Amino acid sequence: MLRHTTNWVTKPANRVDGPDKANGAAKYAGDYRVPGQLVTRALRSPIPHARITRLDTSAALKVPGVLAVITSDDFVDHGRFGFPVADNFILAYQKVRYVGEGVAIVAAVDADAAEAGVNAIELDLEQLPVIEDMEQALRPDAPVIPDVVTEGSKKGQPNVCLTQIVRNGDPEPIIAASPVQLDQTYATPFQEHAYLEPEAVLSIPNPDGSVIIYACDQSPFNNRGIAAAVLGLPEDKVRVIQAIVGGSFGGKDEGVYQMSAQTAKLALLTNRPVGMVFSREESIIVSYKRDASKIRVRLGADKDGKLQAAKVEAWLDGGAYSAETVLTAWRAAMHLAGAYTYQAVTGDVHVLYTNNNYSSAFRGFGNTEAVACIEQAIDEVAEQVALDPIDMRLKNIIGKGDRTMTGATLNQEVGLRACLEWVRQKSDWDRKRREFPAQNKNARYRKGIGVACYFHGMGLGGEGVDFANATIAIERDNSVTLTNGLTDYGTGARTVFTLIAADVLGARPERIKVLLTDTETAINSGPTVASRASVVGGNATRVAAEKIAQLLTFAAANLFKCAPAQVLRDKEAFIGPDEEPVDFDTVVNHARQLGYVLSAHGRWQLPVIHWDFEKGTGTPYVGYTFGAQIVEVTVHTGTGRVQADRIWAAHDIGKVLFPEGAYGQLYGGITQGLGYGLMEEVEINHGYIHNVNFDDYIIPTAMDVPPIEATFVEAPFHLGPYGAKNVAEPSMLGVAPALANAVYHATGKRIRELPLTPERVLLGHALHNDDHGDNSRLWLGYADGLRKVRITQAA
Amino acid sequence: MANKTAVQATINGEDVEFLCEPHQSLLEVLRDVLRLTGTKEGCNNGNCGACNVILDGVLVNSCLVLGVEAQGKRITTIEGIAPPHGLHPLQQKFLEHAALQCGICTPGFIISAKALLDHKPHPSEHEVRHWLAGNLCRCTGYDKIVRAVLDAADVMAVEVSK
Ligand code: FES
Ligand code: FES
Repeated sequence: MLRHTTNWVTKPANRVDGPDKANGAAKYAGDYRVPGQLVTRALRSPIPHARITRLDTSAALKVPGVLAVITSDDFVDHGRFGFPVADNFILAYQKVRYVGEGVAIVAAVDADAAEAGVNAIELDLEQLPVIEDMEQALRPDAPVIPDVVTEGSKKGQPNVCLTQIVRNGDPEPIIAASPVQLDQTYATPFQEHAYLEPEAVLSIPNPDGSVIIYACDQSPFNNRGIAAAVLGLPEDKVRVIQAIVGGSFGGKDEGVYQMSAQTAKLALLTNRPVGMVFSREESIIVSYKRDASKIRVRLGADKDGKLQAAKVEAWLDGGAYSAETVLTAWRAAMHLAGAYTYQAVTGDVHVLYTNNNYSSAFRGFGNTEAVACIEQAIDEVAEQVALDPIDMRLKNIIGKGDRTMTGATLNQEVGLRACLEWVRQKSDWDRKRREFPAQNKNARYRKGIGVACYFHGMGLGGEGVDFANATIAIERDNSVTLTNGLTDYGTGARTVFTLIAADVLGARPERIKVLLTDTETAINSGPTVASRASVVGGNATRVAAEKIAQLLTFAAANLFKCAPAQVLRDKEAFIGPDEEPVDFDTVVNHARQLGYVLSAHGRWQLPVIHWDFEKGTGTPYVGYTFGAQIVEVTVHTGTGRVQADRIWAAHDIGKVLFPEGAYGQLYGGITQGLGYGLMEEVEINHGYIHNVNFDDYIIPTAMDVPPIEATFVEAPFHLGPYGAKNVAEPSMLGVAPALANAVYHATGKRIRELPLTPERVLLGHALHNDDHGDNSRLWLGYADGLRKVRITQAA
Repeated sequence: MANKTAVQATINGEDVEFLCEPHQSLLEVLRDVLRLTGTKEGCNNGNCGACNVILDGVLVNSCLVLGVEAQGKRITTIEGIAPPHGLHPLQQKFLEHAALQCGICTPGFIISAKALLDHKPHPSEHEVRHWLAGNLCRCTGYDKIVRAVLDAADVMAVEVSK
């Protein structure tokens, strides 16, 4: 029996990738340069919706310095891809559906030649009516955006991609009979990931007709699968190596896969390396967003504030392509009514097509939107029954053995109550809730304090089989090499894997090197999403390391001439019955002499659970993380400006494996939540994104983030390595609704539409900039009038 | 092909001569011509600070400076602040405080912080936050960065007084 010492896990540790990142040596994909490397420029759609009636690239190929031009014709099945719904293309096919969608890519020896090549391409577009919002998408006469048969097609609403449902009893009669009822609709905005590294890839052809893709992607194996399919190559002819990734937050999936396939095709055509690096404007115009949502919440409660039933319906603006919004919608559905017990709940989440860019994964993955709305609704019910918002929550939250909103029984330790109590006490909540409303009604500055809490399903749940593969090998110099099919795009996963391997093996972390994920050396582990790296990837690492640890114990026992059970460990030392310690190297060398193979593979999978998508019933997740956040604000009543003064956050993430990393994730998530609640909104007018760089798309700076007091409530999770759960996504969930609740406390105004910009706080609605696309056209290269793109009205 | 201009500058203590086109930014020159890729591009319009370098003692967004403006100037980039085989105290403290995650913003923050401490060895927390408000980070929430800079200031003060 191997003991779980914790010599390194849970203790202070440095990130394994830290020194290179601090001294500028770390290379991101956009930093790579190899001899003969070509550059690319793209011809992108200047309008939101059109039929491609002519596309002729022949003149571009004659431009000096241009070596290749590709369109959808260069890919198998026109480059169609997409999971679960294959409605997207590597380059636009037959139609363009959003502003900035790629139509053709030119590879050339330098940027000037590439630009001249793009200007030589002839493209005729026949304009189609634009669907600017979700109401328009649902109209019976709306133009149909997707070219696949959708669930909605059968009901006469082809722009409804699908509807994800939860069916837990019938809430309708219960709500009708409830003395306290709420029926409100909330809205959340499109959010830009704003990773500080704009997308970059580099593809290099090999002499045998295969290709290497270096990419800033989130999931190299998914990237490889798509690239191989659209290039018409077997998967072993496409090798994807993940470069160091400069932030992702869910944002570097589909868009980077398109870039990867595009550059790989160009590399194979030209037999030259091909790099592609986005500018910030290109990144914001072209990349997908967090979906915008409208969520109608109906709740019934008794007069003491005990929740009885919930009926929630949500509409997500998925934009032109469904991408992962189909799954986002499912996760949203699983959390729509919050971390509370009810007698009955139904939820319906519709994914709609519009011509607003497109939406896909973003931290929180549907639950961010759900929490933002339900947590305001809970405050509204609390007010109706004159309950303190925290008392209201304590009265209704789920605990071990309770049924969640989906009807599944919660079979784990739940730290939610402890989280709520911690933030309540630390923030001096009760006094502030009492005293702030007594401020002078006409004061220029008014203070408020608000709370939100949440649960967040772990891993993929019903979205897919949740497994990971790791390998471990002790090298000739007794260093240790790890691979993992789950990746680190800035999250610290490589450090977590290192600490786990160190602990299990009894080897100093400095000996251990985790390779960047390379599809040739690591083993496919599915996508790195859903904050699953620590739990699933961590367990796979543990399993692999345990195999080696066992061999080392046998070797030590052989050396000591004792039974394996008699071998004790102290950090790197092996101690036998005579208590004479022997070091790691000696035991490893002895193991080799015994002929042991010191490399191993570990696979780990979460227990399989079942969700019935048709019926909307089952068990959505193996477990949940929990948390509560409080935000204190000052509102300037003359301008509507909201300032966050302080934030308290308590999160039950199970055992914390890498404390510095976990706190970093927590502060980062809270800051993104602050942006989501206060200032961030991708403004799309008539299909055009208005704010295409950081001068208009404002994210929080060091001056916007208030002091944050945070703690981890470590309710151990039976399936996690050392009892760990995940932190990356849940950390941002509570901030935005807590802000909205605090602004209400300060002003008496319930805004119900995020973000809480000065206009919304002052006037109750947003002021929209009537940009008809000048910004986008400028950055897409249309400003100088040299593009040969003809736009005609449909006959 | 535009006419290239020969520019002489001192970069990280070394005299360097390079050819650049008149429209090229200092950021492009550093990254593409001199291959000093530690300086990053996050926005190319002066809003993120990822490209920050120190030019004759002044902190600048290198994306907003022309390459030819470097003529006769001294430039410090992230590659030039550590002692041989070691780390600058700011780099060390960024590691200890886990003040970096994806790391793409880190060179810009460290250079900005160095420029601050060069002028003001004992900044208050507010001064640090204010000074660093021109640097965007999407991962960390800034708290650990601010702690790292304050801690580095303390260490550097001790080193100076020795
Ligand atoms: S790249 Fe220069 S400030 Fe952003
Ligand atoms: S560490 Fe990723 S942007 Fe700062």
